[in-house]
Amino acid sequence: MLNWIERRTGFISQAKEFLEEDIPGGASYWYVFGSATLFAMMLQIVTGIFLTFFYSPSASTAWESTRDMYVHPFQHFVLSVHYWGASAMIALLFLHMLQAIVWGAYKSPREVQWIVGVLLLLVTMVLGLTGYLLPWDMDAYFASQVAINLTLQMPVIGAFIQQFAQDGTTMGTLTINRFFGLHVWLMPAALVGLVGAHLAIFRWNGPAGPPVEDPRPLKVGRFWPDQMFMDAVASLFVFLIIIALAAFAPPFLDAKADPSNSTFIPYPAWYFLDLFGLLQIIPGDYEIIGAIIIPGVATALILLLPWIDRSTTRMVGSRKPIMWLVAGSLAVMWWLTIWSQMSIVQKQAGAPPSAPEAQILAAQEQTNISESGAGGTAPSTNANAGGGSAAAAAQAGQTVYQQNCSSCHGASGSGTPGVFPPLAGNPFVTGNASDVIKLVLNGKAGPLTVNGHSYNGQMPPWKSLSNKDIADVVTYIRTTLGTNHASPVTEADVAKLKK
Amino acid sequence: MSTHAHAQPGESGHAAGRAEPQTAEEITRRRFMANATITIGGVIGLVLAIPIVGSLIPDVGAGGATWTPLDAAGWKELQSATDKAVKIDFNLRTKDAYLPMQSVPESVWGIKVKDVAKFKAARTDLFTPAGKDELPYEIVTMGFVLFSPICPHLGCRYNYDSDSNKFLCPCHGSQFDELGAHIAGPAARGLDPLPLREQSGGAQVEWIRYKATIPDRIVVSYSS
Repeated sequence: MLNWIERRTGFISQAKEFLEEDIPGGASYWYVFGSATLFAMMLQIVTGIFLTFFYSPSASTAWESTRDMYVHPFQHFVLSVHYWGASAMIALLFLHMLQAIVWGAYKSPREVQWIVGVLLLLVTMVLGLTGYLLPWDMDAYFASQVAINLTLQMPVIGAFIQQFAQDGTTMGTLTINRFFGLHVWLMPAALVGLVGAHLAIFRWNGPAGPPVEDPRPLKVGRFWPDQMFMDAVASLFVFLIIIALAAFAPPFLDAKADPSNSTFIPYPAWYFLDLFGLLQIIPGDYEIIGAIIIPGVATALILLLPWIDRSTTRMVGSRKPIMWLVAGSLAVMWWLTIWSQMSIVQKQAGAPPSAPEAQILAAQEQTNISESGAGGTAPSTNANAGGGSAAAAAQAGQTVYQQNCSSCHGASGSGTPGVFPPLAGNPFVTGNASDVIKLVLNGKAGPLTVNGHSYNGQMPPWKSLSNKDIADVVTYIRTTLGTNHASPVTEADVAKLKK
Repeated sequence: MSTHAHAQPGESGHAAGRAEPQTAEEITRRRFMANATITIGGVIGLVLAIPIVGSLIPDVGAGGATWTPLDAAGWKELQSATDKAVKIDFNLRTKDAYLPMQSVPESVWGIKVKDVAKFKAARTDLFTPAGKDELPYEIVTMGFVLFSPICPHLGCRYNYDSDSNKFLCPCHGSQFDELGAHIAGPAARGLDPLPLREQSGGAQVEWIRYKATIPDRIVVSYSS
């Protein structure tokens, strides 16, 4: 059977050829970092593909579809694996890179392989940045706003890059769509292409092997199955850590992005904390140094490392200046990371905390239930209406109306043509009282027709108002606004429907 | 002369049966085909690139500002406030790309300016040396100034600390004094004032977004 396939495809011999590679000095667990990074990447691709089955990129669905994944255990687990897989991939990439630096593996003839590797790091960080926005919760919104506005620091092209990144002048639906396209198609395509190049160049040059004065006496080991086995063991180890974290420390989904929130403290992903720290340390007038110059120079230095390190051997002992430079940079990065993390924790301690996740997820569930249960139980509004209190309620309701409703529906309830319907003379308002309460509680979106005119606006849910305010305002619009003369409602009616 | 041979199964490589070009005519012909293939690829790429790049260029029509009524209670609180800043809520009507028109909760910070000369002296970023408004609208209206709630540094929402009477941004530590002047942190300018007017007993604001990070105030949008 295998022979039959081989004769018609050559797959067996091609696979053999691909896997036959000499390993200088024999297989070793020192060589697993590249393969483990590749494994993490494949894990990200597989989980990412299936997340697109559930995710919907727009300002009115991004957070909602993410929230829905959180309440489905299997979807939530796939999402959590993707979340931790991203951290694992970046951590392994750093380790892989650090090893290449310490062993001098970037030296001739592997300069291009090194450059492709650095490009892979940059693409991976862009993937981290673009993926961060997609859940569209509070942190996703503000952290991404900061990242997007930082591009303004770039000379000449900054303004264009910023508008290009957010697809317009402000962040919104188009930004989500653009980041989605970048995160799901463009960057992964670049990643896969670069990994292909990285591996092809690797095969061309062969493994660098350990840094020794004379590699000739090294015994030669086999890639398959010796090194491949060790790579598999390392990948399993990485996988176990990722699924343990995914199971026991899943990511936190905060409330939906609210641009008007002034107490939220945004925080970046851990691999951007050092850059975040630079922004805080460098005084405002010199911000471009922390935002553009230092990261730019650091990237250039890393790319040019094969030409900066002029030593003829790969031995650590004869490359002391480079080792000190690397150790110093790492120390600064660590210090900035830890310092930034501590400063964020300190600031968060002084700010109102986010609601517990269970509450964030459940609050929305209630909305769904009350929406789906519409028309089921109609409270007996007329029986509860007391004469004198209704007039007082309508008066209180007028204040609530002026503060919250009149900007769209007009002070006299005449609405905004084409967008927000009138309330005065609107048969829905004077119709079933519980339907009116439900609409105020849950909001409404999409086209509707009132008295022959069509409207297409969006009303936010007003659950944040107290039951009394809602009862008062509904009483006002039903009994007093314009020429409306329908029955009042009570706080108890609202309480019943709010459940 | 050209022979065409498939590599046999098990044979490695495909070059075995291929003949090298013999004549100048053959060499020219092959070079032409190689160049033509590359050119065809280039033409396809270019024709595709034009609409793709064009589609990616954002639509940045800024439109115009509209007056939006401020919350009556917040406006009343500002009028009675002595020297503290007041956060005034309002509902901003906005349209996010192709989504239906929405009414989203927004807010502005209001301060009472008792001494206009002192305000002008403190906010040199808003007035010419002769005391004229740098912005195309009245900055101090009826003795009040409204500030956009967006930090001019990188677009976070700053907060007000009533004890120290300062505006503090939680993101990168920018600080502004009680008149909105920049006093510390990375922001490049003071807080951005917004147009305010009185209309039939209530107050109204025009929502304007200015470009982040830079010292100058450049309008980027009049919505969301």
